[in-house]
Amino acid sequence: MGKVFVFDHAKCNGCRNCQIACKDEHVDNDWSPIAKPQPDTGQFWTRIEETVCGQVPKVKVSYVLHMCQHCDNAPCMAVAPDAVYKRDDGLVIIDPEKAKGCKELVESCPYGAIFWNEELALPQKCTGCAHLVDAGEIPHCVDVCPHEAIRFGDEEEFAEELAAAEVLCADRADDKPRVYYLNLPKRFLAGVVVDREADEVVIGAKVTAENLDTGEILVQETDDFGDFWFKKVDEAHWRLYVECEGYLTRVIEASTVEEDRNVGPVYLAHASLFQG
Amino acid sequence: MAQDVKGTPIVKGLGFNSFGIGTNACTVDIDEENDKILRIRPFHFDEHQTPEELNAWHLEARGSVFEPGFKTLISPLSLCYKKRVYSKNRIPYPLKRVDWDPNGERNPQNRGTSGYQRISWDEATDLIAAEIKRVHDLYGPASILCELDGHGETKFVHAPHGCQSRMFDLIGRYTLQTRQPDSWEGWYWGAKHIWGMDPLGQNSMQNNVIQDIAQNGDAVLFWGCDVETTPLGWGGYLASRICFWFTELGIKQIHISPDVNYTNAVHADYWIPVKPNTDAALQLAIAYTWITEGTYDQEYLDTHAIGFDNFKYYVLGGEDGIPKTPKWAEEICGVPSYTIKAFARYWAKHAVSIAHCNGGSYIRSCYAHEPARLEVALLGMQSLGKPGANQFKFIEWTLYGMETVTPLPPSSEIPNCSPAYRGWFRSFPESFIPKTMIPQAIMNPPVTWYGHIGAGFPREDQFEGPYTFPLEGNERLHMIWSDTPCWETCWNGGNEMQEALRHDSIEFIIVQHPWMENDCLFADIILPTNTKFETEDIGTDSDNGQWNVVYFERQAIKPRLDSKSDMEAVGEVAKKLEKYGGIYENLYERYMGGKTCEEYIEAGFMNTGAADKMTFDEFKEKQYYAFPTKEKWEELPVGLSQFYADPEGHPLSTPSGKLEYYSTRLAEQFPDDKERGPIPKWIDEGAGHQERQYLERGRKYPFLLVSNHPRWRVHANLDDVTWFREMEEYVKVTGPDGYKYEPVWVHPTDAGALGLETGDIVKIYNERGAVMGGVRVTERIRPGVVYQDHGSRVDSAVLGRGGLDRGGANNLIAPTPTTSTHAYGEVTSGFLVNVEKVDVFKLAEEYPEAFNRDYDPDCGLIASARIVEGE
Repeated sequence: MGKVFVFDHAKCNGCRNCQIACKDEHVDNDWSPIAKPQPDTGQFWTRIEETVCGQVPKVKVSYVLHMCQHCDNAPCMAVAPDAVYKRDDGLVIIDPEKAKGCKELVESCPYGAIFWNEELALPQKCTGCAHLVDAGEIPHCVDVCPHEAIRFGDEEEFAEELAAAEVLCADRADDKPRVYYLNLPKRFLAGVVVDREADEVVIGAKVTAENLDTGEILVQETDDFGDFWFKKVDEAHWRLYVECEGYLTRVIEASTVEEDRNVGPVYLAHASLFQG
Repeated sequence: MAQDVKGTPIVKGLGFNSFGIGTNACTVDIDEENDKILRIRPFHFDEHQTPEELNAWHLEARGSVFEPGFKTLISPLSLCYKKRVYSKNRIPYPLKRVDWDPNGERNPQNRGTSGYQRISWDEATDLIAAEIKRVHDLYGPASILCELDGHGETKFVHAPHGCQSRMFDLIGRYTLQTRQPDSWEGWYWGAKHIWGMDPLGQNSMQNNVIQDIAQNGDAVLFWGCDVETTPLGWGGYLASRICFWFTELGIKQIHISPDVNYTNAVHADYWIPVKPNTDAALQLAIAYTWITEGTYDQEYLDTHAIGFDNFKYYVLGGEDGIPKTPKWAEEICGVPSYTIKAFARYWAKHAVSIAHCNGGSYIRSCYAHEPARLEVALLGMQSLGKPGANQFKFIEWTLYGMETVTPLPPSSEIPNCSPAYRGWFRSFPESFIPKTMIPQAIMNPPVTWYGHIGAGFPREDQFEGPYTFPLEGNERLHMIWSDTPCWETCWNGGNEMQEALRHDSIEFIIVQHPWMENDCLFADIILPTNTKFETEDIGTDSDNGQWNVVYFERQAIKPRLDSKSDMEAVGEVAKKLEKYGGIYENLYERYMGGKTCEEYIEAGFMNTGAADKMTFDEFKEKQYYAFPTKEKWEELPVGLSQFYADPEGHPLSTPSGKLEYYSTRLAEQFPDDKERGPIPKWIDEGAGHQERQYLERGRKYPFLLVSNHPRWRVHANLDDVTWFREMEEYVKVTGPDGYKYEPVWVHPTDAGALGLETGDIVKIYNERGAVMGGVRVTERIRPGVVYQDHGSRVDSAVLGRGGLDRGGANNLIAPTPTTSTHAYGEVTSGFLVNVEKVDVFKLAEEYPEAFNRDYDPDCGLIASARIVEGE
């Protein structure tokens, strides 16, 4: 079994404590034989990637942890088996003595988690703070997370949650990463339904979202603010049907392929206007 | 190779409270052998005390339990602190401006551009002592201005602010720069007149409000409130954890602000993007909706309020012929009227509370007293104090030592170590000047105002006066001693201050500070002071929301470079003054007050209840004592529930004891004030300000600027942290010239119209000058509005009025006039600007000196840029 990291996207407030703690731990501190000092800037052994999602006024910011995935089939180990080793607890370590000059390690990591230290001629990355783990502590990034969005421990400890977990890159599952992700973000599709003539939002309108790629159908009713907000939907082309008694039904198309989508106000017109 | 990976743990409070009130307790692991800081990590309450001893609290609601945890919830603004201690921007040794000659030409006009040369502590303190003596003899002690407020590090014995005032108190006093209630402007100047609530004007009856909302609330409004940013200098992430808990409980979090602030980004269920400083129009339209639809609590107002009919008459248009309809408001505030109506109806049907963290355009713009008063007016219309309906704060949970300002279970004691404190101790000299009026007081005295100006004063103080500087028979200002050198980048109209600091009348400026930044560059003598890692001290943390704690702060490392602590630096000057005899005799000993540093620490400890639990030696060994949760905290009355139930028995501190929709005191005192009248109103413009997009100036300067508490700084602190600055686009934007510019958020539609892309460098400008910034095109700001945090370090290419600043310190171009005619607050957000793309290479040709200063992109401006002779 061994150690794993678990990152829960739903609990991350984007504070960067993990990123800064990594700097605090490794810049100007020599933890040989686990790691040589990290340069002051330019390396991100632990990093939060920030993405702004949606359009005014339906905007969220998504924060996702990026770090060495401590893969069981680590591509870096395959490239330099003498310089990179896996500990019994699963942590992957670049040996700072043996890896000197192994610049090819930087390119070998599909997660962009290995950095080149020009001054030391050394590839470097997250060690899982193995020096602290060996002293009975937890990694510094984990210790400072205010929301337990990053946790570290024995795999069996998290077994139940890991059933629902994903890996960072679905197409790289064969690397067998030891960093598990919960609640990774998906797209949203949102808008507000408005009766322009009455200058009122329409509450209780039925909004049907048809996924034009898969045929999936999602249904919501607009809330007290006239809003509909489909969360965690696929990247797809959509057709939205907006219906409400007494109004003509509106059909609009929208895409969440490139980004999250706020379709903005959907104006409904009274059916009576078009009668007789 | 370090063998001991853990190091020796000590405690440091890394908050920025500055007046001997500590926060942000952290554990710091040090390597004693190598005189080195290893790491900063959370402080653990349970290291020496059990959960039982702490009387550990938890909240319960809707089947869920909230626990605060036993370690402090520190932020990156604490975690980064090594970079501050070892910053390349530390002032290395005492400095003298090269063209300042106390016996010849003083060249005040060259302040801000001159270089500096190294001098010894001996020479520096000789010069300072001689200048004090000279100014005393020639002009009198009130010609010396002490700037001693602000948000430096929190230290007690080695206090960063006001040590000089301790000394001046012993030798004929000084003129005090009084800091207006800068974090609470609208509340202080406005809300106090509708609901009292001294000392700040925000709800000071907050006990158990979080628990109440968790159990009874439907929604919380975050009106310009950023839980993920503003508390960090004075607290941590407990507030953020409460937001996650509210989400879990299904409590709707509605954000009303021009920007997707860092809390909105993660926690919001709904966002109403209002234009900056137009909240008053939105609020009036909500009142209009409730009045016309009969969805407010008239019965409550009958028993809890006075003057509602006057307010209602105004809202319906009786007074000025303009009904404050949602359509009227839409034109001003940019929120569709259908949204205003839907929001008003939602509010009327649900139990809604309002949360604040100070800050933002809502509370720091012109006429900020109006939205603050209107918020209380709205709360009153929906039965303020009923279950789930209060106003509360996510910050400052023990401010002014008040137990009633925490919405969480309070600790049994708010420790007070004031006997250890060696900074300014509220000694209030007769001669004082509001901080917002300093430039005028220097250049164009006399100046006149009402009130003592300071957050702690009661409501009635606003009517006292008028006060004048200089006092009758006194000279104007001729010398400034600042330990707060960030006026330019933190206050109202820094370009005007640059004029003042270079004014002929100012013969000598001394600054003491650890870092070479902002107003330091206008000093004639600079004394390098050190950080709290370099001294031994005592500390408290009563704002973490978990448990209040008093701690011993061991020295982490030896003083760096040629620095001394602020207390020591002033002491060196006191020693040098003694040679003049008379009032200066024995000054150092008097200044030190007869105690050693350790004795002061002990005196601070003995003043707390911790002294009943352990000896001083035990305290030094264990390094902390945490105060358990108050017994029976559950029984503390919830928020304003007592006023709600029995307004006669539990009156407010207004003259009538009720909510005053018509303020009789404002009507009596300032009957001709059209900007802050008895009834809260929408104010288009006034004598000092025209900051509306739809008025004349709005054509020339069509954007409103939002300038919040910075996400990656505490005001002017931390701008040099390399680990933040390397986060491209989020913290700084690297220009084509390699300079890291302060980000400016621009909405895609505005970016399209202006021809801007992410990474472009622009100037934000108005008639007061221009500051530069790096564009980030983003949906995080509504159209028609641009956003740039405040507090970036000033890096002027052109000084003074109409100046140009490369650093992006937008306070430089904020309005100089105060909040309104009789309200002396700052207007530093929600003002008009234009935005224009610039060619940095062309500017570099135009201003070669400024654009070729010694610069390190990682750290930004560095001390060596200004030192022309040194070692």
